[in-house]
Amino acid sequence: MAEKTIVRGVKIAGQPFVLRSSDVVHALRDVDPEPITIHFVVIDAKRFPPKQVVSEVTGLDRADFTTHQARRTLIRLGFPAGRRGVAASNPREIKDRGPLAPSPDRLTDRLRSLSGQWVAIKDDDVIHASSSPRELVGWLGKHGQHADTMFRVPEDELAITGLAPL
Amino acid sequence: MRFGFRELPDPGPDGVRGRPIVDVVIEGLEIAPQACLLDSGATAVRFGAYVAELCGIELSQAPRRELAVGGAVVEARMAEVDLLVRDNEDSYAWTAPVWFCDPWFPAFGLLGLTGFFDHFEVTIASYEEWIELTPIN
Repeated sequence: MAEKTIVRGVKIAGQPFVLRSSDVVHALRDVDPEPITIHFVVIDAKRFPPKQVVSEVTGLDRADFTTHQARRTLIRLGFPAGRRGVAASNPREIKDRGPLAPSPDRLTDRLRSLSGQWVAIKDDDVIHASSSPRELVGWLGKHGQHADTMFRVPEDELAITGLAPL
Repeated sequence: MRFGFRELPDPGPDGVRGRPIVDVVIEGLEIAPQACLLDSGATAVRFGAYVAELCGIELSQAPRRELAVGGAVVEARMAEVDLLVRDNEDSYAWTAPVWFCDPWFPAFGLLGLTGFFDHFEVTIASYEEWIELTPIN
């Protein structure tokens, strides 16, 4: 998520827009992310296809612009971007990170921001996160997706311990 | 079948800890295998009641018990359920009694003695962080 608002004037599909990172976050707050094919951007800890985001924010038809245009626009607004199977890149974060700091390369570290949520994982990627297991499985069914695994990201020690009942 | 330990974020002081977790397909719900901890301290296989709901398992007439889990008393209902584990090459399916609990605190299902450990020879190599499951025929 962008920490402070970045404003950019951009031209997409021949039309001028003034986009604010805070408006993008707000516009996507209640939007269900579609499955990631290759590219994604991270907005408020969720991964979205770049074209879905730009279409949502500008109202443009997705056929009117390319993934590359959408991705570049969102990166300039400060949102991390990545490809499936490769960690999201945010040059500033990588530069600031110490050698022992958490790494976005590790799924475990990417899961931390989703504490308490239900996640579906495929090929080491979080393909969807949700506040309820029913909603998560509903999303998988709706989008024809198969997860490798699903679980709730542990939010406390009680959630991570075996707690073997007698 | 061999599986590596699974790392999950650990809110405790360790930060990250690999655990013996495998994914189990329950009642053919292939789109969403459930992460399950191998727990030799549990006497049976236990999941949250939400798993029964996801899989369409009817529990209203099922045998009922009260269990103490994590210091709280939870209601558990039992059903005979089809389970499946697989790696890249092999798979093994079996039917086991499963107790569905409400409320449910763990982040994953628990694979205990009856219904899991009595179906496999289980090797847990904690130092090297892998698990091997060999079905008992």
